[in-house]
Amino acid sequence: MNTNSRPTSHPTSGDINAFAITPRNAPSDSVAPGAVLRAEGITKSYVIGGTARKVLDGLDFRVDYGESVFLAGPSGSGKTTLLSILGLLLTADSGELFLRERRVDALSAEERSQVRRDSIGFVFQRFQLIAALSARDNVAIPLTLHGHPLHQARGKAEELLERVGLRDHRLALPGSMSPGQCQRVALARALITEPALILADEPTAALDGVAGRAVMELMRELTTNFATATVVVTHDPRIFPFADRICEMENGGFK
Amino acid sequence: MRWNLAYRTLLHDRGKLTAGLVGVIFSVVLVNLQGGLFLGLMGKTSTLIDRSDAQIWVGHRGMRNVDFAHPFPERWQYVVAGLKGVDQVEPLRVEFAEMSMPDGNFETVVLVGVQEDSDLGRPYEIVTGPADALQKNDAVVIDDCDQDLLRDPALNELREINGRRIRIAGKSHGVIGFLANPYVFTRYEQLAELTGFDRRDTSYLLVQLKPDADADAVCEAIEARLPDVSAMTASQYAWTSADFWIRRTGIGLSFGAATLLGLLVGLVMVGQTLYAMVLDRVSEYATLRAIGLNERELLSVLIMQSAIVAIVGIAIGFVLTVVLQGALSTPKATIEIPTLLYLGCGILIFVICLVASALPYLRIRRIDPHVVLQG
Repeated sequence: MNTNSRPTSHPTSGDINAFAITPRNAPSDSVAPGAVLRAEGITKSYVIGGTARKVLDGLDFRVDYGESVFLAGPSGSGKTTLLSILGLLLTADSGELFLRERRVDALSAEERSQVRRDSIGFVFQRFQLIAALSARDNVAIPLTLHGHPLHQARGKAEELLERVGLRDHRLALPGSMSPGQCQRVALARALITEPALILADEPTAALDGVAGRAVMELMRELTTNFATATVVVTHDPRIFPFADRICEMENGGFK
Repeated sequence: MRWNLAYRTLLHDRGKLTAGLVGVIFSVVLVNLQGGLFLGLMGKTSTLIDRSDAQIWVGHRGMRNVDFAHPFPERWQYVVAGLKGVDQVEPLRVEFAEMSMPDGNFETVVLVGVQEDSDLGRPYEIVTGPADALQKNDAVVIDDCDQDLLRDPALNELREINGRRIRIAGKSHGVIGFLANPYVFTRYEQLAELTGFDRRDTSYLLVQLKPDADADAVCEAIEARLPDVSAMTASQYAWTSADFWIRRTGIGLSFGAATLLGLLVGLVMVGQTLYAMVLDRVSEYATLRAIGLNERELLSVLIMQSAIVAIVGIAIGFVLTVVLQGALSTPKATIEIPTLLYLGCGILIFVICLVASALPYLRIRRIDPHVVLQG
């Protein structure tokens, strides 16, 4: 494995320390801690203009419980493709992928949907909120997919929105909120099921410096509370201090 | 949540929702009005039958249309009257004739000769003129819906039928046949005088049954005793008359084509609306796929949206249909919409709306959740 790790100190946000969450994702004392996600020999090529171009070239990668790993690097280096493969949104040409020690790279589309629903939360660059749903209902969606009644899911969504400072915006539609607020709603949506893994694609790219930092503080705080592992794709060096480890990519591999 | 997602997404895009609803409403109104006009028109093919109290109609063998009767011996009424289960028999004459117009032209009319004290064969109620109008000498009763065709005859105005003087003694309302020729009612005996109809013959025998008699069995018995006649229950003969016109004119095909067009418009508009909604929200659907909704769940969202559009559109369409029916239906262009037509139309359009969700579903199937990470 060729990953360039840069341990960092974590900034804290003062206004969300009151959360009292029992992490469900942390391995119990009787189980040896391991990787939440492990990828081995991942290869991916795209055919562009009739020519196959290798985007990922035999990558190995792992994220441990509670760890926050950033994927950095120039455009076209394969960060987003890797994130898509890790999130089971894209299939690798070769290689093996394990999520909580379960091999998931050869699952059917239906099974991959189920794995994403159960174990992965997504934070997207452009928030990807449902325009017709209120902030509360956007956050509640993943919980209802787990079979929770809507009123229960809404209740938990409101709690989470309060934690991200959007209690007063719980009934607001995404179109009426600022980008920073939308991203906080998206973060709450990603975390409401307390997934083992959060995958974030350029979470601060559409935000100004202040809002970006606030979102990252919140993400760091909440993922710590939920013991959630995080993989963040970013170009933004201002948020590097929030990483436990930074993996810089270049030409389909790690530097 | 899927229900919440389905209806909130629909309501969020009111322009497209309106377009979809317009499609469904258009279909409902068109199908109901076309169906109602068709049934109204078909109802006219059996006006004389529906407006009589006879349970069985006996006519010449092979009778196919109540307005086109063929004479047979009137004395056969006694044979019919003697059969088991028959309570009462009355003869009825139907014959074409020509009525003179004030401007010297003539109008072909369907002359119907009813017995003065008829209990079974009087298909009209007099709304203008004395109730016993036909008892006057040379009297005829016309329908006020045919005023234009007959050049506005006044009460007690004198005209001629087949060159013989008659008097407009009364007017009924709403007794309109399928033919363009007006019904003119007169006394049974007078019809023979006016038309030269053989007095020994009649066009129909109208039968009233005893309370426990089996109508089909009596029909069989009549045909067994009188091989040259056909005997049908009133409903059978009404259907036979309607079927005659449907087959002869192809009217069912034209109305059916218009109805199909209405259904097609509904299908296309609902399908197109949902498809456009999906196209607008490809990114949202991709997000839902990314966070774990599977194809089946997304299909259920589409089906719910189709069902919402269908139910709301059908309800509004029904209300509009009732209003239009009240405003447009006339005795000449009757719009008859029975409950069964409403029910059938509603179910059909609901199913069509569900089918319409197949088009956007095909688009949703092609949505790759990976696109949400591609900016």
